[in-house]
Amino acid sequence: MPPHTKDGSNFIDFGELLTRVENDRELLVDLISVFKVELPKQLAALRQAVESADAQRVAVLAHTLKGMLSNLAAHQAAAEASRLEQLARAGEVSALPGVFSSFSTDATALLREVDSSLAEVRG
Amino acid sequence: MRILIAEDDPVSRRLIQKTLERDGYEVVVVDNGRLALEKLCTSDGPRIALLDWVMPELDGPAVCRKVRENKQQSYVYIMLLTSKEAKEDVIAGLESGADDYLTKPFNPEEMKARLRAGLRILDLEDRLIEAREDMRFRATHDPLTSLWNRGVILELLERELIRSHRERASTAILLGDLDHFKQVNDTCGHLAGDEVLRETARRLLGSVRSYDFVGRYGGEEFLIVLSNCDPTFGPARAEEIRKAISQRPMLTAVGPLSITMSLGLLQSQEWGLRPAGVLLREVDAALYAAKEAGRDCVSVARPAQAIAEHVPPFRQPARQQS
Repeated sequence: MPPHTKDGSNFIDFGELLTRVENDRELLVDLISVFKVELPKQLAALRQAVESADAQRVAVLAHTLKGMLSNLAAHQAAAEASRLEQLARAGEVSALPGVFSSFSTDATALLREVDSSLAEVRG
Repeated sequence: MRILIAEDDPVSRRLIQKTLERDGYEVVVVDNGRLALEKLCTSDGPRIALLDWVMPELDGPAVCRKVRENKQQSYVYIMLLTSKEAKEDVIAGLESGADDYLTKPFNPEEMKARLRAGLRILDLEDRLIEAREDMRFRATHDPLTSLWNRGVILELLERELIRSHRERASTAILLGDLDHFKQVNDTCGHLAGDEVLRETARRLLGSVRSYDFVGRYGGEEFLIVLSNCDPTFGPARAEEIRKAISQRPMLTAVGPLSITMSLGLLQSQEWGLRPAGVLLREVDAALYAAKEAGRDCVSVARPAQAIAEHVPPFRQPARQQS
């Protein structure tokens, strides 16, 4: 069974993602592979920026993650990245650790579960 | 068509790259704004670009502004990729010089359709440039022979005379006139006459160096400007040109025609800095002397001779006698 977020929606909407890659399953697998390498790097950088209260850096990194996740149809995670970006741009540094923690948990779970979902897509 | 994708997120970059490669584009990818600007500002760089808004080093709108500042290059159609949806962001993006924008996550069909609109704009620009170049050519060249027209060859002559005087070099001025050309037109028809003029132009161009100038001065008169031509070699160069016309018959629709050319030669270094009009009058007199001497020959304009002898008035190129 595909992984779900707290509200029950799929981490990645594979139906939407397949439309986005024009049913090119090879490309879909390729994108997920890139994502699996890239997400941990981005999360680590984001964690460091949050810990050092560097709001500007948090905004840039969260923005990149938002774009990556939304293009992968990972809407819930993309929304959390967006929230993080907005808070950083507003300079609400004290709120960043809490939102980052929630985002990081979901993103890590997404990463962990993406392989099983991929197996379903591959059929 | 080559297209540039500037996107720092590797997932989005790969997705756009594959989508566009499938659509037949030759894709160039970079991951920051500085590299995007470098690629777009090369003379043969991509003419259509998808730029992410937020990028390291230089953001999308900044790349747009810098590309637009560079007026030398062909127009680059730029589409910004953004997850910014606020109206003021969109306005700022378009004000920076972007032609269009696409909001992430994008729909592949929409992206391709918007790029096709960009290609139409570029096609229109190409056609306008082509039309402008065609008009520029028509304004500067003789329509029959494609040589420089009278106005341009006179300008080039004046420029060369000033330059050669400044550099203490010599410019050779040759005024050539086809012998008995009126007879060609009268007996063989004007179409054959046109063929002779075109072939004359080809032979003249084939006899000079790439940096010399050949123009159609009048009906069957041609002005040739040889830059940096040592006066020692001027007469020999003029002889080569004369022979290039006469050495073999010109093939026309009415059969081969033996054509000859009389030439006047003047070497600027022997005359000092004088107005082009004065020198043209002298070289025209030399051409007249070549005609008097029996045609198919070269006559050289010499300053002493010019002073000692009667100089006929400057003749208009549409001469009666040929």
